[in-house]
Amino acid sequence: MSDAVAQQIEEQEPEVDLSLANSVIDKYIDLPGNLMPVLQGVQDEYGYIPRVAADLIAERLNVYPSQIYGVLTFYAQFHLKPRGRFIIRVCVGTACHVQGAPRIVETFFDKLGIGHAETTPDLRYTFEKVACLGACGMAPLAMVNDSTYGSMTVQKVAEIVDDYNQRPLK
Amino acid sequence: MVNLTIDDKQVTAPKTATIYEAAKLNGINIPILCHDNKLKPFGACRMCLVEVEQMKGRQIPACTTPVTEGMIILTSTPDIVKARKMVLELLLLNHPIDCPVCDKGGDCDLQNLTYEYKVSANRFTDEKFHHEIDYNNPLIERDMNRCVLCGKCARICDEIVSFGALTFIDRGIETKIGCEFEGALNCEFCGSCVSVCPVGSLLARPFKFKSRFWALTKQKTVCGYCGTGCNLTLGVKDNKVLTTIYDDNQGFHKGQLCVRGRFGYQFINSDKRLAKPLIRRGNSLVESSWDEALELVAGRLKSGNVAALATPRLANEEIVLFKKLMELSGSKDYDHSAGYAHSALTEGFAKSLGATASPSTILDIQKSDLLLVVKTDAYETHPVVGFEINMAVKNKGVKLYILSDKRGKLARLPDAKTLLHTPGNEIALINAVAKTILDEKLAGASAGSVEGFVELEKGLSAFTPELVSAQCGLTADEIKQLARAYAAAEKPLIIFPVGLAYPGHNAEMASALANLAILTGKLGVEGSGILCMSEKNNSQGAVDMGFYPEAGAKNAIQILDGCASGAVKTLFVAGENPLVSYPDQTRVRNALEKVDFLVVSDLFLTETAAMADVVLPACSFAEKEGTFTAIDRRVQHFKPAIQKIGQSRSDFEIFSTLITLLGGRAPVSPAAVFAEIAAGVPGYESMNYATLGETGQFAKVAIKPVFNSVSLTASKAESGKMALVTGSALYHCGTLSQYGEGPMHVCPEGYLEISRTDAANMKVGNDDLLTVTSASGSAKLKARVSPRMPVGVVFSPYHFSDSSVNQFWSGAAVTWVTLAK
Ligand code: SF4
Ligand code: SF4
Ligand code: SF4
Ligand code: FES
Ligand code: FES
Repeated sequence: MSDAVAQQIEEQEPEVDLSLANSVIDKYIDLPGNLMPVLQGVQDEYGYIPRVAADLIAERLNVYPSQIYGVLTFYAQFHLKPRGRFIIRVCVGTACHVQGAPRIVETFFDKLGIGHAETTPDLRYTFEKVACLGACGMAPLAMVNDSTYGSMTVQKVAEIVDDYNQRPLK
Repeated sequence: MVNLTIDDKQVTAPKTATIYEAAKLNGINIPILCHDNKLKPFGACRMCLVEVEQMKGRQIPACTTPVTEGMIILTSTPDIVKARKMVLELLLLNHPIDCPVCDKGGDCDLQNLTYEYKVSANRFTDEKFHHEIDYNNPLIERDMNRCVLCGKCARICDEIVSFGALTFIDRGIETKIGCEFEGALNCEFCGSCVSVCPVGSLLARPFKFKSRFWALTKQKTVCGYCGTGCNLTLGVKDNKVLTTIYDDNQGFHKGQLCVRGRFGYQFINSDKRLAKPLIRRGNSLVESSWDEALELVAGRLKSGNVAALATPRLANEEIVLFKKLMELSGSKDYDHSAGYAHSALTEGFAKSLGATASPSTILDIQKSDLLLVVKTDAYETHPVVGFEINMAVKNKGVKLYILSDKRGKLARLPDAKTLLHTPGNEIALINAVAKTILDEKLAGASAGSVEGFVELEKGLSAFTPELVSAQCGLTADEIKQLARAYAAAEKPLIIFPVGLAYPGHNAEMASALANLAILTGKLGVEGSGILCMSEKNNSQGAVDMGFYPEAGAKNAIQILDGCASGAVKTLFVAGENPLVSYPDQTRVRNALEKVDFLVVSDLFLTETAAMADVVLPACSFAEKEGTFTAIDRRVQHFKPAIQKIGQSRSDFEIFSTLITLLGGRAPVSPAAVFAEIAAGVPGYESMNYATLGETGQFAKVAIKPVFNSVSLTASKAESGKMALVTGSALYHCGTLSQYGEGPMHVCPEGYLEISRTDAANMKVGNDDLLTVTSASGSAKLKARVSPRMPVGVVFSPYHFSDSSVNQFWSGAAVTWVTLAK
């Protein structure tokens, strides 16, 4: 990537503190096969892989930037955009579907103003539809970060959103 | 060798061959789509399926399966044909099948295979791809809708080009080829990916809708840019060179080209080409007839005090004629490349090796076990040699050491060791390596008996790694390790670029490097030795033809000074553009203003030509015939691809008419001159113009090694100033590429590369205009903040007429400059 492009990106993401990424890279730099652990470590730090961090990794690990992007898009675990403080997942597996998951999803869309795999501009919420979460007995099922909410109703969606709206962002 | 049966034919093949290769060797064609001889086996498309009896008739890919003794292979059973048809149907499922408007039509593997296998209908249906077509760069169109995901583009960009611009993105049905963060292609623009793409996914934009492939006439020739001497096929229609055509059988480089060779051809049919001779009348140049112009020139040549400068882009035969013309004019004052740019050969190697050519060839790179490259610029000056280095290091594990004043792509190759030294200290550094070899008794057994050994020992006494390392910004250990690795290698090869922008790479450097090779006895063994990469397509030829001053005659700089002082009355400049490319523009301009009569032959009205009294329109290499000699003394023959543009004439014709006008006898044809060359130039003896061909023949280099002790100290750092080093930009070669549209599309102007730290300190960003000032002048250049520059060092390429570096660069290897916003 040209420096001109790098600079534009830097301007778009002024808040990225590369010292976090640098210390992750420091930790793995001498290990063979270090790309995956570095990418995972960097994602743990930022919640996603900022482009400037990807470029830094490319430069320091001597890997093509394109190749890093290939890896990032190949594995579903990596996120290229900042993620919300609260990740809301609604199960759309078969059991949940028949128990009315589509309406739950629609209600979240309405309340949050975002769609699937999107993040609110204030970085409070990311919403994701997911396949069976393995707790079909509690269908329809939603999760916010690590908390599980079973037998979801439209009413409960409103309550959950109200609740999380009150919580601090940091 | 193993014995096997292919389609009932008893055949043999090398042990290491794949089924595909074995079949090909024996004249049996197995269709392929994702396989390429130059790339590692991939096995993705399943087009090459064959049946092997020993594998119970299972269908296996021929391109990845090695042969074994007694194998019985069937390449086109009904089942195989069915399977291939299916592969094609699936590929055509999402493909737009827009052949009528696809430039690849007629040259497309998918189209040809579809035709061959008569896939006239599809049993399946699915949606077409709807990827956006990438028009974000001027040279390469990327239409992923036509992509068959063979991966060849990404693989060649990695395996050979080592740039890695392209990769597989996403997975499953979404998979496509792209750049990081789906951005625009911003790469070397070598076009390697375009050349291997089997379909119309990657296309050369300058050629879009110019001609159907089958309507082109294909003329094989030799690239007219750098000294690598790549073989080239020009695609011609209606007397226009419309494109370059990939031919993977061509040359040592198997059709690989750099951006200049591939996309720089447009200068040939440029509308800026001069069509008629021009004569100065007062302040303007007005068109004239050839007769008038040549008689005027002949008159001046007859009246004495003549000197000449030639570009080493001229053919060997033309240079010989130019020399004859100068002799007829009573002049011994002729030179090229500002004099210093050929001194590595004409003085350095002449003293150290007793030859004015490199003993090693480009082919040695793959056979070497350690490459010592002076300056990462070797990649920029000779990009296709750069590919050879990439492949040697990546595929063969050849060790790579780099001595350089900045980092670069070579420095990122696996396990490359870069000795990043302060600018201008190359000679000291090389001497310290030699000193270590002596001190640690690593020298070859016969080194002591080579002439000059005692003087060398004495000369090196001050170059201890300890002293030199401090001066170079390295550690003594780094220097010692290089010395040990070099001495321990069985076949180490030294490579260094020279050229107008590299005044530090001169006679002294050539001798210092030759000393290393002679000391360790690493000369004359295949894969080892030393390769001086001279700049232009015929730089080595210009040296071989002796177009440089003998003792007592004026060299290029003295010729210019003679113009200024009045000692030279008539200056004949053939193809050089010293006003832009020689150091110290003020000095050159003054000389050209003062000289009584200036004749310039060129394709274009260059800055130098604009000052002339007579301008003679010369033609390009694509319009004439002759021979060029590449950096490793590969003498190659080229033929015209088109008729001459306008009234332009070849320099051969110009010189021979002038010779006749001066009462001499001009040889009738390039062939006749080549016969003289073969008879007179050492190493060319056995060559025959008619049978040479465009891949040519190596002129032999006989060497007699002698130690030539050299020393050269870097100019003292001036406090508060930055060290400016000049050089070549990857996208350009000399000043000619300014007329090639492709290079100008991607690198349109000069710039100043500056380290991130310096840029941050000065609060300078990309494209900020900086005023660069040295003792000899100043100019404004755009900043380019670059991770490869060390702190305190700036770099600027020399090719550009606008804001040319010679306004503030007077020919020193390192120029001390101040920068201001
Ligand atoms: S043009 Fe050359 S550098 Fe650019 S993507 Fe293609 S192969 Fe790579
Ligand atoms: S763009 Fe061309 S070379 Fe690259 S994967 Fe697609 S079909 Fe193959
Ligand atoms: S410019 Fe040099 S490296 Fe590039 S294609 Fe021409 S001869 Fe080859
Ligand atoms: S389907 Fe929703 S948890 Fe199983
Ligand atoms: S050519 Fe053999 S799998 Fe593609």
